[in-house]
Amino acid sequence: MCRQIYRLIFSVVFSALLAASASAAPAPKAGGVLNATLIEAPPSFSIHEEATVGAVWPVMPCYNNLVLFDPLKKQESLDSIIPELAEKWTLQDGGKSLVFFLRKDVKWHDGRPFTSQDVKHTFDVVREAPGIATKLRVNPRQLWYENVASIDAPDPTTVAFRLKKAQPSLILMLASGYSPVYPAHVPPAELRTKCMGTGPFKLKEVRPGELIDYVRNPDYFVKGRPYLDGIRYTIIKDRSTRYSAIQAGRQDVPYPLEIAKTIAETVKKSAPHLVLIDSATNVYDSFFVNHSRPMFADAKLRTALNLAVDRSGYIKAARQGAAVAGGVMLPPPYGVWGLSAAEQAKIPGFGDAAKQKAEARKLLAEAGYGPSKPLKLTVSTRAIPSYVEMTSYVVDQLRQVGIDATIEQIETGVWHAKMTRREFDLAVDQTGIGVDDPDARFFEGYKCASPRNYSAYCNKEIDAMIDKQSEIIEQKKRLDLVHEIDKRLQLDGARFMLGHSKEYVLMQPYVRNLVPHQSVYNYGRMQEVWLDK
Amino acid sequence: MSAGNFLNFCRREPLGALGGLLILLMVLTAVFADVLATHDPICTDAEHTLARPTASHRLGTDNLGRDIYSRIVYGARVSLMVGLGSALLGAALGAVIGLLSGYCGGWVDLFAQRVMEILQGLPLLILALVMAAALKPSVGNVMIAISVPIIPMAERVIRGSVLAIREFAYIEAARALGVGHLSIAFRHILPNTIGPFIVLTTAQFGSAILVEAALSFLGLGIPEPWPSWGRMLSVSAAEFAQKAPWLVIFPGTAISLVVFASNLLGDALRDTLDPRLGRERSL
Amino acid sequence: MFVYLLQRLATAVLTLFGMSVLIFVLLRVVPGDIVDIIFSSAGFVNPAAKAELAREMGLDRPVAIQYVRWLKDVARGDLGKSYRYDVPAWQVVKPRIPVTVELALLAILIAVALGVFTGVVSAARQDSALDYALRFFSLAGLSMPSFWLGMLIILALVSWAGWVPAMTYVSPFQDLRAHFLQFIFPALAVGYRGSALIMRITRSAMLEVMREDYIRTARAKGLRERAVIFGHALANAMLPIITVIGFEFAFMIGGLVVTETVFNLPGVARYLVDAILWRDYPVAQNLVMLIAVAVVTVNLSVDLLYGYLDPRIRYGTR
Repeated sequence: MCRQIYRLIFSVVFSALLAASASAAPAPKAGGVLNATLIEAPPSFSIHEEATVGAVWPVMPCYNNLVLFDPLKKQESLDSIIPELAEKWTLQDGGKSLVFFLRKDVKWHDGRPFTSQDVKHTFDVVREAPGIATKLRVNPRQLWYENVASIDAPDPTTVAFRLKKAQPSLILMLASGYSPVYPAHVPPAELRTKCMGTGPFKLKEVRPGELIDYVRNPDYFVKGRPYLDGIRYTIIKDRSTRYSAIQAGRQDVPYPLEIAKTIAETVKKSAPHLVLIDSATNVYDSFFVNHSRPMFADAKLRTALNLAVDRSGYIKAARQGAAVAGGVMLPPPYGVWGLSAAEQAKIPGFGDAAKQKAEARKLLAEAGYGPSKPLKLTVSTRAIPSYVEMTSYVVDQLRQVGIDATIEQIETGVWHAKMTRREFDLAVDQTGIGVDDPDARFFEGYKCASPRNYSAYCNKEIDAMIDKQSEIIEQKKRLDLVHEIDKRLQLDGARFMLGHSKEYVLMQPYVRNLVPHQSVYNYGRMQEVWLDK
Repeated sequence: MSAGNFLNFCRREPLGALGGLLILLMVLTAVFADVLATHDPICTDAEHTLARPTASHRLGTDNLGRDIYSRIVYGARVSLMVGLGSALLGAALGAVIGLLSGYCGGWVDLFAQRVMEILQGLPLLILALVMAAALKPSVGNVMIAISVPIIPMAERVIRGSVLAIREFAYIEAARALGVGHLSIAFRHILPNTIGPFIVLTTAQFGSAILVEAALSFLGLGIPEPWPSWGRMLSVSAAEFAQKAPWLVIFPGTAISLVVFASNLLGDALRDTLDPRLGRERSL
Repeated sequence: MFVYLLQRLATAVLTLFGMSVLIFVLLRVVPGDIVDIIFSSAGFVNPAAKAELAREMGLDRPVAIQYVRWLKDVARGDLGKSYRYDVPAWQVVKPRIPVTVELALLAILIAVALGVFTGVVSAARQDSALDYALRFFSLAGLSMPSFWLGMLIILALVSWAGWVPAMTYVSPFQDLRAHFLQFIFPALAVGYRGSALIMRITRSAMLEVMREDYIRTARAKGLRERAVIFGHALANAMLPIITVIGFEFAFMIGGLVVTETVFNLPGVARYLVDAILWRDYPVAQNLVMLIAVAVVTVNLSVDLLYGYLDPRIRYGTR
């Protein structure tokens, strides 16, 4: 009898203990190799010379930034920035100096010590500081540092960015995966085929076009990190093969931005143990007119085009639900700066499809086009299947209001050359922005002089507003102005926003601490990731 | 071919006749696509994407809500045009070269043979691939890209027949009578190569459709919004294959069926028109 | 015999030379070059920087000079540097060769085994239901796009078995079973397609041979049917079968391009497509030439083998 009671008490206590330990977050386990997926080989290992997630994602584990968006927090903002190579930082001179205090215990993978000179070198090269001899082959983000007047390194552990005027957003750019610190003792050209960082993982082997292997950096300055013994990025070109590989357990995590919602859900259904995380990203689809063509100076015509394409249908059909509607900035709750649903409703293209199409037809007639004289337009896009699909939808929508639209497919390799030369009527494209921030977004896509302002939209008044918001330190005031700019850009038809991509990350259940952010470019460090096997 | 001949062919080559019937059906489909299609093949429908086959969408819809049946019906136009166009173009160019090279002999022949060997040394799809990349994507250019690898095959067959015919007595007689070379080549020899020419075109027709599908799969085929069968398989079929297998199954079946038919007909025609290639029917 | 061999070799070299010109020119006609692509990933093109980069890569020189430089490099055994990966082209290509060779050999093996077997059976049971069924089966293989067949195979594996072959190359020394499973499915997809032609030739050769007197004699002597077919008839039908294998090789390389993509095998054929799309001239042109050399060599060997097996062919006459 007593024995039974003892046994009962024992089992109750034991199972209570078990339950308690299960509900508490399990302690991270060290070890194991993460099987990650790529859709093609990175164009190079030099992050500063590339502008694609294909380069950032597999190279981030090798490097560190001054600061980084907290990998464990879903939403990136000023508040989610954590230290990396900089232990702490302060704003001085009324926001015109950004000063970083660096760690002292950091070594490059080749054993050399890391100092403030490396930081100064990196960002002087990127901003093409006057008199600097080292040049990048291609420099996509020089614009980010336009406002930097000089960079000082008064001692080995202090770096100061001196600004022309206050810019609260600068630190966001520095927290992006696009802003690693390069070693001053290795020429950038050498960093194209290998990486030499301070990061949690060291490059072990590259089999061109096949795989990239990393091993744990045993001398990493964060004690006890990384958890993984290594990462293997496998290149799988065919999309269905990629999904089959995840489903069959060959791969642990997919490529970021693998936006195929339907298939992710199907795979999840047939392999319920997989974890499906959805998250919006600041990669957006847009179609735009070539503002340098005289015919598009007609605001009525632009509005007609804007009204013709039903955004909710676009998201339902062309994107199979894997996108969210919005203006220029990624809308809440995903992003920080975007227009609310109520404000979006006032934008052309976001309302009732049938009514808007009727209105578009009316505007077209007023602009002088109709069944007897149809408007003939060519819609250019990249010769990539998913782009062609997006464009097929847009073209059909234009046809439905009587526009005689045809698709022109341009090889990706020559696409930007053609866009820069402005050789198109209408174009459909997908663009990613490194940081969810108005400076990053507006300066690049909408200012008159920007080389990546493909639509050639130019409005001096908007330019002034963009400059003004950049300096505002008070968040609420800045947000209001950003909303105002966003709405004006939509009504003016600067670029017609089709949707912001959502990504559907399908991973094995034992992968821990890999948290997708609203920007795909910033969460690939893998320092915190561990495998619960 | 007279009616009697035709009936005879059907009796002796029932499978060939079946192939011919299938191709005829396909041609009729392409011609009457406007009547047969139930929907506009490029019209999207956001409310009915990836729909199962039902009464209103016989073969279901794709991810943009486009009707697959209608796309296959219209796709027949593109596939037939590309298949027939490139097979005819390649066979015709090859025939002209083969005719001249076989008839003239000597340096012309030697030179033509070397050029043909160059074209033949490269695997068909790879040559077409490089050609397609070099030209802009359009229906015409895809046809040209596919036709190039066909040229040497046609050239070899026609040259062979010319070499055989050249020695016939009536050609000798014509030459003795002082009939001009061109006249002999085109009036006397050419008609006699019609048989092998038809056989060849039929056989290459199927292979051209397959090459177009492979090019589309690799992203170098017919551009949208033309609904080509190859592209229907490439764009999103793979992506949605598990959820909507009809996206993969129907266009692939259409391709296989028409290629199958062309192989059946090609074999039967070869046995009938070109007895030198052996009397054995392969199916 | 020796003169004939020399003659054939000279022709082969001449052909390869012509191919090199063809491929070189074609690749240069392709719009856009690697410089465009490098800049494309940055999102805009800076003309001055672009010109500088083109000069650095030697792309500003006239095409003829680039061609001569390529030939010189190849003659020295230098295959150039991959523009895409910034490493010697040979380093990129070398590990891929065994993958494609193994796949091609395995596929040929399957094609021959399947083709000869069905061909023989089909001929032995001429005009029976089995004959028709086998011919139907074989022609169906020839009529399917090979990438479609590959897609169906992967779909079937993942839906019914919840399993797919390994995604990265598994060395046979590391895990023989995984290696075999990785190669067998793509080889089946390519080999099935390839078997159709072999089946057709085998069948007609067999039918022809079986009408010959010595087969009738063998039968009359009371030899078992199986012994007659495999012992006598097949041996004599081998000649055309060997010829067709050579032809098949070139045919198959094309099939590998798409099949390697579908099954994610890091082979030469799949990589060629990438190199063309990336305008990676050194890799693309050298790969095409590599394939051309392989095809020409196989054709040459088949010719010679044919001559060896068939004493009726006289060498020295053209």
